Amino acid sequence: MSGFGLRSHLDRLRERGDLVAIDDRVHWDEEAAAIATVAAREGAPALAFEQTPGHVRFVAGAFGGPDQLAAHDREPWDRIGDALTAGEDLATVPPTHEYGDLLELLAGERTEPATAADGEPAATPDPTLDLHTLGLPTLSANTRPIVSLGILAVDLGPEYGTTWVPVRGGVRGSSRLRLVVPRAFRERLAAATEDAGSGGGGVKNGRERGGIDGGPPTDPPAVSLLLGVSAPALVAALQGWIGDRVRTDVPELAAGIAPTATARVDGRLVPRDAEVRIDGTLRMEAPGGREPTVTGSTPDPASTTTTTEERRAAWEAACETATVVLGVDRIATREDPVVAVSPLGAPLSDDTQLVSLVEAARLYRRVNGYWGVSPVRWVRLPPEGGLGMCLVASEILYAGFEWQLANTLFSFSRLFDKVLIVDEGSDPTDLAKALDDMWVKAHPANDWAFSEPHAPSATATRYRRDGETGSRLHIAATWDPRWDEEYIAPRVTFEQSFPENVRESVAERWDEFDLERE
Amino acid sequence: MTIDSLREYLAVLEAHDDLSRIDEAVSWNLEASAITMLANERDARIPLFERTEAARLVGDPYRGSGSRPWNRIALGLDLPRDLSRYEFYEAVIDRLQDPIPPTSVEAADAPVKERTVTGADVDLLRFPWPYIHAGDGGRYSNLHTLVAPDPDSEWVDWSYHRAMVHDGGTASVLLLAGEQTPNLYYYKYERRGEPMPVAIVVGAEPAVEYTSVMWIPTDRSEAEFAGGLKGEPIELVECETNDLRVPANAELVIEGEILPDARRDEGPFGDYFGYMHGPRRSMPVLEVSAITHREDPIIPFCVEGSGVGYAENSTSSMEAGCVGPDATLGLRTAGFDVECCVPWTSTPRTVYVIATDRSEPGYLHELANFIFTTWGMLHVDFFVFVDADVEPTDSRAVVEALALHADPDADFHQFGVETMPKVPLNIYQTPSEKGDIQTGTSKAKTAKTYIDATRSEPAPDRSPELERRARETLRAAGVELDVEDALLGGRPPREEPTGGWRR
Repeated sequence: MSGFGLRSHLDRLRERGDLVAIDDRVHWDEEAAAIATVAAREGAPALAFEQTPGHVRFVAGAFGGPDQLAAHDREPWDRIGDALTAGEDLATVPPTHEYGDLLELLAGERTEPATAADGEPAATPDPTLDLHTLGLPTLSANTRPIVSLGILAVDLGPEYGTTWVPVRGGVRGSSRLRLVVPRAFRERLAAATEDAGSGGGGVKNGRERGGIDGGPPTDPPAVSLLLGVSAPALVAALQGWIGDRVRTDVPELAAGIAPTATARVDGRLVPRDAEVRIDGTLRMEAPGGREPTVTGSTPDPASTTTTTEERRAAWEAACETATVVLGVDRIATREDPVVAVSPLGAPLSDDTQLVSLVEAARLYRRVNGYWGVSPVRWVRLPPEGGLGMCLVASEILYAGFEWQLANTLFSFSRLFDKVLIVDEGSDPTDLAKALDDMWVKAHPANDWAFSEPHAPSATATRYRRDGETGSRLHIAATWDPRWDEEYIAPRVTFEQSFPENVRESVAERWDEFDLERE
Repeated sequence: MTIDSLREYLAVLEAHDDLSRIDEAVSWNLEASAITMLANERDARIPLFERTEAARLVGDPYRGSGSRPWNRIALGLDLPRDLSRYEFYEAVIDRLQDPIPPTSVEAADAPVKERTVTGADVDLLRFPWPYIHAGDGGRYSNLHTLVAPDPDSEWVDWSYHRAMVHDGGTASVLLLAGEQTPNLYYYKYERRGEPMPVAIVVGAEPAVEYTSVMWIPTDRSEAEFAGGLKGEPIELVECETNDLRVPANAELVIEGEILPDARRDEGPFGDYFGYMHGPRRSMPVLEVSAITHREDPIIPFCVEGSGVGYAENSTSSMEAGCVGPDATLGLRTAGFDVECCVPWTSTPRTVYVIATDRSEPGYLHELANFIFTTWGMLHVDFFVFVDADVEPTDSRAVVEALALHADPDADFHQFGVETMPKVPLNIYQTPSEKGDIQTGTSKAKTAKTYIDATRSEPAPDRSPELERRARETLRAAGVELDVEDALLGGRPPREEPTGGWRR
């Protein structure tokens, strides 16, 4: 099985005219990230950096999208939608994706077996490479090259098998990476390692487990860091490890999104089409304790809009994190490898876009299963708001339901402390009108509701980083269910403001009016 | 070259390939507005309807583009339409600070007097006032300048109040107490039992149109500010049936009186909020005494409600291009060191964004208090304050500031919960809260809010040189970067205001 990886996604973007080649020579040291940052902020197409000094080429914006508050031909989630359907015939994939379809696809969290690996990994070992010669980008001058859109493949033992984990990392020397991972993963890994050490190895659930060369579990455990992977693998890794419930069956989740070619490396499943594979062993702590394990249960002071090298990825705000160290044993790449990178911390960055969709789908699934009915039409965490704000379109079941709905969302996600509730008929593709309703439809006093000040701080926001509690805000920009129907003001739209015969007449004669520009 | 009339302005649009003449017969009855609404939504050319009855119509002639709502406002002032937001605002502010007195012309030299109808021959219904949205209470003139005098001084106010045509000789005018002209009517003329002489100037030259939507201080000559904006004196001519003087180059003028203690139904109307506003309410009555006009006049109109979301219309563009610079100047003049004050891009009047540095404790409160007690008190419910280096016309940047920097616990400041006035056009109050026979303020009070979305941490440290090179590289690759360029452009240092921030 082939054709579902990052390359096929980039081919599709190229066909759509949504990928631009940067032919100028661009250095990986801060310059590429600066260009990617401007491009993301301005809603530019994805960028393929064709001339960088290192072994890998970069692509930025592969999972990005334009600002939805400005007029664009494409939606912010279209590139992700393309990426999740990269294996399908282009003729069957619409030029733009329905947001609801993507929510349903990801909220379903469907799984397919992923154990039947089908061939050798596309990347082959290259002993001449080390982490520096790869030429990964830095975010600012004289800082360390980063890993931003990669996953870690790890075998968790017979009970769980291989899982894929989101990581953000920095290169430390030529053969060492410091990686930030979900803390839950590190705890699972520690438990699995301990279990292996006490003789709990073997085969379970039809999965072999082992370390390098398929041998017995190692301590420290053997892992693969995969770069240049497909969107289903990235999305599934986020689905598995961020949020309030952990799922380790990530390869199966990825297969449930789209066919995902896999291969085995030393017994663990890896995405077969990964462009770069870095094999090695994982240590919880560096020798001598110089790389202390840390957790990120509170917002990181080195947050995404600062310029430090430790700018975190968006997913790090969605879960507690820990740090591990990857000692590199070998590096394998495909021929002419291309790696997706994200300008961490930039508005509309790829990692923010991915988390926006994954978290929205998770919340959509959870709130719609919560009251025995499914009142919620859509949930959005607009990347424009850096994930500090959530929009939800819902039927208002009864007076006060807005309060319940908002606080349920607050309970299910730690990212935001502002929820805007809009009417069920609101269009998820019209963020401008949804925000307009916040200003004109919600009574400035009665419909802006602040909680008492003992709520935990939101993790995506930039204030209250010291663990202090504070208020949350929800805004009900919906019609009050107590109002008579006659009070409800119709929207001014082309469809609602003109009778059918006028609309048809205008549509038939439109070209004759010569109003459109070429 | 100055733009002396609506016709000259439309010719400039045509020269820029910005106007389409529609020679097919188009009805004023919803059809012209439906075409205009689609043109607004699609950022298409401005439609000039050449074949409507008795006059021509032009739909939303001042509508700008989504990323540059001010670009056609600029054309009307003979400014380049590719100015950055910064350059445009500062150019308008400069002109507003240099008013030019008007001149007078004889009726024989006034194009608007080419046809004069008075007395029993007056017939409003001879003209194609558009029926704009299905469900509207009637046909409207809604892109014009209402000229009305203060009975106790020489001051004449130019303002912007829609009028619904009732029959050949009367219309009801939306006068919302709290604004300058309505205040003159309700609290002077009507209390004295006197009619208020007025003139509705339809199709005025751009500088006049722009001035009428600005908040020119009480007692100041609007004609002088219009002259300043234009860069030349506005030519005025006397009315036929009252002592008012009106722009001589207008397309059409309706003269008359707004009668004391007389009301007619007004509305509902698809309003600038993007919703059909109801209920039908009583508003003061205009009794028409004369109509003067050019040959083959051109009547501009605005499809209200279409300027919400991604589309622009004349109202939303004039808010951004006229009220924004005017408000910025007003705040600076009052001693506040604001970088820029703009309406939220997709919400024409309810919420404004102000880019400013917090210079001392209490500054934002004082700034909000100043606004809410003066020009913003009726229409504006919200102000969002962002740092001076945040581009306030970039909704993306403002949403980010709002989401990431405005702490619900500390940065949302509700002024006077249920104690502040509100126009009844809002849709968040019930009809009984709005009142159906009031002078124009809601029966129920509301709250106003300002949101401090400024950072509590140092600004990101971005290298301008690196940013410049990045933009060059992207351009070399064929990437269009018009959004930020449209907003910022060159940003030379601004002269510091004097007098401190306290009024």
